[in-house]
Amino acid sequence: MKQHTERYLLPVKTISVLAVILSVIVFMSFSFKNETTISSLKSDTINKDSIESVKAFMDVYKVLMSPRCMNCHPSGDVPLQGDDSHIHTMLPQRGKDGKGIYAMKCMNCHQPTNLEGLNKPPGNPNWHLPPSNMKMVFEGRTPNQLAKQIINPKTNGNKTLQQLIEHADDGLVKAGWDMGEGRTAPPLSHEEFKKAWITWIKTGAYAPKQ
Amino acid sequence: MITLNINKKTFNVDVDPETPLLWVLRDTIGLVGTKYGCGMAQCGACVVHLNGEAVRSCVTKVSRAAGQKVVTIEGLSEKNDHPLQKAWIELDVPQCGYCQSGQIMSAAVLIRENKNPTEKDIDAAMNGNICRCGTYLRIRKAIQLAAEIQRKG
Amino acid sequence: MTQQKTSINRRSFLRSSALAGGGLMISFSALAEFKLDDKVNKLDLPDQWYELTGYIKITPDNIIKIFNPNPEFGQNVMTSLPMIVAEELEADWKQVVVEMGQHDSVKLGPQFTGGSNSMRMYWKPLREAGAAARNMLMEAAAQTWSVPVEEVTTKAGMLYHEKSGKSGTYGSFASKAASIPIPKGMKFKEPKNFNIVRNSKKNVEGLKIVTGKPLFGLDYKVEGMLIAMIEHPPAFGMKLKSFDASETLKMPGIKDVFSQKLYEDGFEQGGFDTRSFNDLLVVVGKTTWEVMNARKKLKVQWELAGDTKNTMSGKREFIVPGELESTSTQLEKMKEYAKKPAQQLRKDGDPETAFKNAAQVIERTYNAPFLAHNCLEPMNFFAHVTDEKALVAGPLQAPGWSEPTLSKLLNLPADKIEIQMTRMGGGFGLRAYGHYIYEAALISKKVKAPVKLVYSREDDMTYGIYRPMYTATYRAALDANKNLIAFHVKGGGIPENAVHANRFPAGAIDNYLAEGWQIPSNITIGAFRAPRSNFAAAAEQSFLDELAEAMGKDPIDFRLELLKRAKENPVGKSNDYNADRYAEVLKLVKEKSGWNNPENKKYSRGVAAYFCHNSYAAHVVDLVMRDGQPYVERVFSAIDCGIVINPDAATNMVQGAVVDGIGNALYGGLTHKDGAAEQNNFHRYRIIRMHEAPKKIEVHFVQNDIDPTGLGEPPFPPVFGAVANALYKNTGNRFYEQPYILQLNKTSRA
Repeated sequence: MKQHTERYLLPVKTISVLAVILSVIVFMSFSFKNETTISSLKSDTINKDSIESVKAFMDVYKVLMSPRCMNCHPSGDVPLQGDDSHIHTMLPQRGKDGKGIYAMKCMNCHQPTNLEGLNKPPGNPNWHLPPSNMKMVFEGRTPNQLAKQIINPKTNGNKTLQQLIEHADDGLVKAGWDMGEGRTAPPLSHEEFKKAWITWIKTGAYAPKQ
Repeated sequence: MITLNINKKTFNVDVDPETPLLWVLRDTIGLVGTKYGCGMAQCGACVVHLNGEAVRSCVTKVSRAAGQKVVTIEGLSEKNDHPLQKAWIELDVPQCGYCQSGQIMSAAVLIRENKNPTEKDIDAAMNGNICRCGTYLRIRKAIQLAAEIQRKG
Repeated sequence: MTQQKTSINRRSFLRSSALAGGGLMISFSALAEFKLDDKVNKLDLPDQWYELTGYIKITPDNIIKIFNPNPEFGQNVMTSLPMIVAEELEADWKQVVVEMGQHDSVKLGPQFTGGSNSMRMYWKPLREAGAAARNMLMEAAAQTWSVPVEEVTTKAGMLYHEKSGKSGTYGSFASKAASIPIPKGMKFKEPKNFNIVRNSKKNVEGLKIVTGKPLFGLDYKVEGMLIAMIEHPPAFGMKLKSFDASETLKMPGIKDVFSQKLYEDGFEQGGFDTRSFNDLLVVVGKTTWEVMNARKKLKVQWELAGDTKNTMSGKREFIVPGELESTSTQLEKMKEYAKKPAQQLRKDGDPETAFKNAAQVIERTYNAPFLAHNCLEPMNFFAHVTDEKALVAGPLQAPGWSEPTLSKLLNLPADKIEIQMTRMGGGFGLRAYGHYIYEAALISKKVKAPVKLVYSREDDMTYGIYRPMYTATYRAALDANKNLIAFHVKGGGIPENAVHANRFPAGAIDNYLAEGWQIPSNITIGAFRAPRSNFAAAAEQSFLDELAEAMGKDPIDFRLELLKRAKENPVGKSNDYNADRYAEVLKLVKEKSGWNNPENKKYSRGVAAYFCHNSYAAHVVDLVMRDGQPYVERVFSAIDCGIVINPDAATNMVQGAVVDGIGNALYGGLTHKDGAAEQNNFHRYRIIRMHEAPKKIEVHFVQNDIDPTGLGEPPFPPVFGAVANALYKNTGNRFYEQPYILQLNKTSRA
C-alpha cells in the first residue's frame, strides 16, 4: 500500500461510483469462494460469448481500478486519495457501516454536492466506503478476482444480475464522472463504461483468466 | 432568509445560501469560538455539531444547516462544565488555544459514541484536527479523563 | 528598578489618580466584543483600582490585577509572567486576575515575544515590580499601625504585625500604599522560599479558550468594521501590472478594490519590516466570505518585477534579485556555491594541516528546505486609522518594532498610535514581522473606516516569511588511532547560512574551522522557532552521531568527552556555551531514558543535544516503523533553563516543541516552482497529526537556582537530530535531506 509518498501529492479524491452502488445494497457476509461461477446467477443472458464478455470486462476493469473507483475500495480500512492512490490524509476509518467513525464520518467533510475550487472534498449525498462486513476490495485485485467478486452475490451484496445492470444508471454511478474541479475522470466515459458493463454481463459475465 | 437553530436559539439570517456555515457563525451571528484555519476541511479548527455530527463548518454550506440543529463550542455546555471542558482545564491542555474549540467539538462526538475510548479510538477520531503547538499528548489524556468524568456522571 | 522608570511609574500613577472616582479600570473599550475574565466577573469587578507599579493594581476588596506585558502566543506568559510579580508581592494567587497590557514600553518594558526572551527579559523587572509593591504596602501598614516597617510581615495577600496582633489585607492598604514613593534596591526572595514560582498554576485563560470566547485577532470586531483581503502575485519575482475589478465590484458586499503601495521608494525599512510584495491589490467588503468570493472575479495582469531595491535603516541599500526561483535550481546553485571560497567565521589551530595529515576524513552534507510557519490562525490585523490617530489591534509579537514604522507610514506621532495585543493563534517567529499590520493600517487609512485585514490560509502559506533554505557540509579528521583531530563546518543558504561558529563543538577541538556563505533571493525569510539553530542542530547532531560511530564510541559518551575537553582545556575564548550545563542535560537524559537498559532495545533510539537561546536541551527519541512509516513512540527530554517558573506549563511547551520538531523534521517543507510556492494549504503541506505524535514525552528539568532563560525555542532544534539518528538505527541509512520522509520513501522504494 502506498503511503504519503511525496508530501501530500494530490487532492482529496474520489470514490468509485460502482463502489457506492455495490456497497449500499450489501447486508450479509459470506466467505469468498473462488469456484463461484456465473452459473450460480439467475441469468437473462442473451448471447453468451466469453471472448466478447472478457473484452468488455477489461474495459470495466480499467474504470474500477482507476483512482476514482479504487480509492474507496481499499484493501485496508482507510480510503485512498489522489491519482497515486495514497492513503487518505488524516486516516478516516471505514467504520461498521462504511460511513466513518466518531468525529471522522465521511459526511462531516464530504458534502451532498461538490464544492467550488480545487482540492475541496468532493461531494455526494451518500458518500461512504463499503461496510466492514462486505468490503468489496478493488485494490490489488486481478481482473479474474474482481470479476468473480462482482458477480458473486455473496461478495457483491446479494445482487442479482439484473440489479447489477440497473445500477449502471444509478445517480451515484453518474456522479463518479463529476467529482469536482481538477479530478481526473475514469478512463472511459460513463456511456462507454455502461456499455462495457452491460455487454460484460449480458454476454455471460465471464471472468478473465488472469 | 435562512432559519438556523444554533445552540438552541433561532436565528434568521439573510445570507447567500452558498455561504459556508463557518462565516455565517463568525461574521453574521458573531459566534467566533468556531475558528477558520484552512477553508478546505483539512485542519478541523471549524468543527461544529450538525445534528450531533462533527461537521467542518468551513465546507458546509449554510443551506445544509437550515432548519437543522447546530451546536458550537459556545453552546456545548450551559455552565462551561462539559466533561471535556473540565478535563481540558484540569490538564491545562492549550498552548496558543486556537485549535482547541475544534478539538473539543470533535472529542465530544467521540466520547458520546464511545464511553471508554482507547488511544487507538482517539487517534481515529482526532486525526482530522491539527494542533500546530503540538498539544496532542494532553488532548489524548484529557479525552480519557473526560470520558472518566462522564462515566462517573 | 531604575530611577527613570520609577519616576515615570509615579507619574502614571498620578495621572491615573486624577481620574480616580471614575475608576482606574483599564477596559478593552475598543475591544467591544471582548469580555473580561470570568473570574473577574464572578468577583464583581470593582471600579476602584490603586496602581502600585505599572504592573500592579489592587482594589480595596483585595483583588490584585497584574498586567502581563508580553504578547501571548501559546508560551503561556499570560500566566507565568504574572506569577513572578505575585511571588515577590507575596500575593494570594487566588486573588490575582491577569490582564494583557497594551503597548506601553515606558510602563511595561520591551514587550517583545521572541528569541525565548520573555523570562530572561522580565525576570528582574517583574520581581522588582512585585517587591516594590509589597514594600509600599508594608510601609502603608507600618504608618497606619505606627509600628516600624521592619516588624511588618506579609503572607498570601495579608499584612501582619505579630507583636500587636494586627493584620489587614493588601486591599485595605492599597489606597495608602499608592501614595508611598516607589522604593529602590529591595531584596528579592530566596528561591527556596518561593511558593508561587516553581508551583504549577493553570493557564489563566484556560476557561475562555475551552468555551470559545473571543480572544484572537481574527475574533476582533467593532461596529462598522470592513473586511479586507490582498490579492498577491502568483510568484515571488512578480508584481502587479494592471487589474480589472469591474466584475468584483458587482459582487455582493464589496465596497472597494484598489492597489496600494506598502512602502514608497526609498522607504527605510526596519529589521522586521520585511516585505514579500510591495504593490498590494486590495479587496474590501462587508464580510470575509463575500471578500473571498469576490477575489475570484478579479482579472489581474502580473508582470516580472525584475531586480528591486530595498532600503534598510541607515539608508543601507541592497538589491533583491528578480529571478523566478525553483527549488531544483536553488539546490544546484547551493552545490555550486558550496565549492567556492567562503567567509571565515572562526579558526582554531591549523585545520588545513590536520586534514592533510589525517588517517581518515569524514565529510557529509545536509540540506533543509524552506519552512512555512503555518500558525493555525492565519495572519490578520485590525486597524482604524484617521487623520488624527490610529488604533491597531491583533496578533503580533513585537509592538515596539512595529510602532516606529507605523508612525512613518501613517505620518502620525507615536503617541497617537495605540497598539493592542490580542492572543495569537501561534506565532513561531512570523508575527515579529510587521508587514500585515502596516497593510491593515494603510488600507484603513485609504477607505477611512475600521478594517480587519484577513489572510486566507493560501495567502498565509504562499505569502510567507519563511525559514530559509539551508545546507552545510561537515568534515572531521581522525588520526590513525581514531582520535578527532580537526573539525570543519562550511554552511550556506538562501539567503543566509546557519553556522553558529562559536557553538559546540567549537572549543572542544584543537583544529577547527567554520565558514559561511549565502545566496541572495527574492523569497522572503525570517525567524522561525530557533532560527538557524533549527537547522544547525539537525546537521551537527546527525554528524556527531555518525562521527561517534566511526570512532567506535557511544554517542552520548563521545559528546561528554568533547564537553569535558571544552571545560578543562577550552580551545579559543568566545565559546558561547557552558560545558558543564551542556553535559548535565546529556547525563540527565541518559539516566532518565535508561540509555543502556537492554529493555529499550525494542526501539530505534536516537539522541541529540543542543544549546541555544541561553538554555540547554537533550532528547532521546524512541522510534518504531509500522507499515513503512516512522513513528516516534516515546521521548525523554532533559532541559536546563534555570529556574522553571510554571513547571506544568513548561512541560507542555517542551512537549509541544518535541511534537513540532518531529513534524517538521519528518514532513515539513515548502518548495517553489518558477517563484510560486508549491504548497498552498494543508492538503499539500503535511502537518503532524494525532496518530503521529508520541505516546509519551517525559520532560525532566535540571534543578538549579540560575535565573530563568528561554524555553520556547531550545527544545526544538535537537529533535531534528535525534529523529535522524533514530531513523538511522532503524533503517541503516543516514538522513541528510529534510524532510526525512522523502528520503525514507525514496530508499524504501529503491
